[in-house]
Amino acid sequence: MPPSERLRLEHVLEMVSALEAVILRSFGPEGGQVLFTRNTGQAMLSRSGTRILSALHLEHPLARMVVECVWKHSRATGDGSKTFILLLASLLRMISKAISRELGASHTYGFTEAAKAAAAPHLANKLLELASSDLDDLVAVNVVPYGFCLSLEDFTTHRLLLASFFHTRVSHVHCSYLSELTCEMLNRWKHKSDLPCVSLQFLSDNFPALHTPVSGFPVSSSRLIEGQVIHRDFATARLPNKQQPVKAAVFTNYMQPVLLGPGDVLKVGYGDGVTEQNTMVHFSAWTERSLESVIAKLQSLGVSLLLSAVKQSDAALALATQAHMSLVECVSEEELSLFMQLSGVTPVSRGCTIQAKHVAALSFCRPILLGAHRYVHVAFCEAAETCELNPCSLVICGPGEEQTDQYICAIRDAVCMLMTTWEPKHTSEAAASHGTVQSNKSPASSDMTTQSTANEPYVLKKCVLEPGCVIPAGGTFEFLLSKALLNSSLPSVSQLLANALLSVPRQIYSHSPKLFLQAQTRIMSLVQNPSNSVRLKESTSESTVDLGLESVACKCQLILAVVQCATSVLRVDTVLHAHTALHTRSKKHTNSSQDSTEDEEED
Amino acid sequence: MKVIQARRERQDKISKLMGDYLLKGYKMLGECCDACGTILLQDRQQKNYCVSCQEMDSDIDKDNPALNAQAALSQVRERQLAAQTPEVNGGPSTSSSQAGGSVPQPRPEHCEGAAAGGRTPLPPPAAPPPSAPVPAASLATARPPAPPQSAVFRPVLQDAEEAVLTKLRWATAQLQSSPSLEASIQLCSLITSCANSLRSLKELSQ
Repeated sequence: MPPSERLRLEHVLEMVSALEAVILRSFGPEGGQVLFTRNTGQAMLSRSGTRILSALHLEHPLARMVVECVWKHSRATGDGSKTFILLLASLLRMISKAISRELGASHTYGFTEAAKAAAAPHLANKLLELASSDLDDLVAVNVVPYGFCLSLEDFTTHRLLLASFFHTRVSHVHCSYLSELTCEMLNRWKHKSDLPCVSLQFLSDNFPALHTPVSGFPVSSSRLIEGQVIHRDFATARLPNKQQPVKAAVFTNYMQPVLLGPGDVLKVGYGDGVTEQNTMVHFSAWTERSLESVIAKLQSLGVSLLLSAVKQSDAALALATQAHMSLVECVSEEELSLFMQLSGVTPVSRGCTIQAKHVAALSFCRPILLGAHRYVHVAFCEAAETCELNPCSLVICGPGEEQTDQYICAIRDAVCMLMTTWEPKHTSEAAASHGTVQSNKSPASSDMTTQSTANEPYVLKKCVLEPGCVIPAGGTFEFLLSKALLNSSLPSVSQLLANALLSVPRQIYSHSPKLFLQAQTRIMSLVQNPSNSVRLKESTSESTVDLGLESVACKCQLILAVVQCATSVLRVDTVLHAHTALHTRSKKHTNSSQDSTEDEEED
Repeated sequence: MKVIQARRERQDKISKLMGDYLLKGYKMLGECCDACGTILLQDRQQKNYCVSCQEMDSDIDKDNPALNAQAALSQVRERQLAAQTPEVNGGPSTSSSQAGGSVPQPRPEHCEGAAAGGRTPLPPPAAPPPSAPVPAASLATARPPAPPQSAVFRPVLQDAEEAVLTKLRWATAQLQSSPSLEASIQLCSLITSCANSLRSLKELSQ
């Protein structure tokens, strides 16, 4: 094995084509699922490109770099990881073809490899310039008029968008059910005065605490339940009393001062030697007394539920039971933080006196049996901060652990995708454009016409990407953008990008090339007759119903991410192999994308 | 153009195979195969595996006359053309294998140099070169396709058959006297391949 090797474009292309072949069969709404198994018997079922690629054994440094780019993109937008690889492969192929054509035309036979190696990053840099500067304007002028904006008031209009998303992630039988469930959850968490991206961000950050996986039940048993589910059982045998409201307090530390931990040194009788007053016995008696005072204070405030981040001592447990209090131990940090946000309390810290601000009022607190586990179910009173919110928790059921896991990932990515869709692009202009968009409050399908015609003069002036903009799926975005790139007066690299974009609809319709041509003809005819607004309305509404919707913002970010990844891959000149001791599977391996990259192969 | 197309199809097949192996749990290494430059895969038993070398038919095997009858046929035709061209332009016929009575058309000038190097581009035998000027003096019947070829074929085939038979005899003699097991096995395989070659030569001559 050579200590260093010069990278050839063919080598890079071969690697990306292999990754493409891996995800190709799962691509699109008709794609299949991949089942991964471990020797331990643990299985994972997935159609998500990120999960499939992350599960592969890849020691090739560039392959790992590409998978990391896909992972980061998926973390940011939640969608489009398979399209990423498809576009990347097709873009690299176009670059390779363009370079061979140039070199063939200029008769540089002698220096082919070196010339190719020099030309590729140059071309990629030009593409990156194009994508960073002109893409948004092109999309806003040429693609957005054929789409429409989702309604802000009601999340149920998002059902179609979510259904198309779930079509690419789970089996088509469960798409509509899951999209309705997600819409309902979004509606209940929506804060009326805020932009949707605020509530979506909250959901996304707290998702681990807001869902409960239950395996062994059909998907249709999934539901929303009021309040929060704390994924722990009661540590005390006694359950909280049924009277309302239930008062709760949160402890992040030990209630009883810890006697001795490993490594602690207790100095007893310092100065005067060990006397009767300062032995170990006195110290432990003091700790018990302080615990008793804590419990007494809690009792005086009427607290009957204690939530603790740590495992309390036996004495604390006994005293709490005696005082008719219930204790839940070892609650995770995320659940505690969500509880504190929703109830508005501060946790009791070491050494401070317990006051009213540490006590939360709950409307109920009871055990709940979900699947094979018993959890604690709490619901919040109508407090000032949370009066507009209707907190709920999602219970997701699946026949087996793998399917449940798949549905949970799909819902989490759906929330992320919506967050990207609603993210304001240019804040000042977006605020102004909101005024025209929100004039119509009817559901999306009927207000599409007025909004699309209202959008058109507006976007021509401002050239801004509207938040919440969606477009019919099935390759519409790619056809329109490709046509715009070919017609524009931009440099020749735009042709490269235009041709590469067409590989996506080609793959969507790979089972029937006739459909590809039909779709292309239909959309090109729309482009050629822009004044024929009646036909535009009809055909976009038909295609919406048939093909579903996709988010324009996600697509734009995808193209930019693909071009950036291609540039960084092509900028790598050399790979130097260096062996280190341990093989770590972390995703954060370091490599810089400058010339003569030194890549440590973790072996 | 066809070469580019064939190469692209081959690359697509290699990528597809590699993708299948990756999904089966093979590891993609950062190294390339020494023979063909394809990315290497490693299975669970730590054995390296090159998809194109071990599964795909080689790109260049189809041009090797020892492995492919078509390639052997085209090599024989090339030799025949190379043999005919110097006869027309050079002088007296050098070999008695020239078919009686048939005078081939004179070759265009550009072919002569190529034929001298033995790498004549192969035109279809029945169609004369379109741009060839036809000198009046040597206007003759168009070179009939089959007989001169078979006339040139036969001595080449006979030589080949003789050489193979000689080797076969030698191998048989060696086999009778060979003491070691390994050598016997290798001699038997040599005899098998000689027999196969003889069969192909017999098919060619028919």
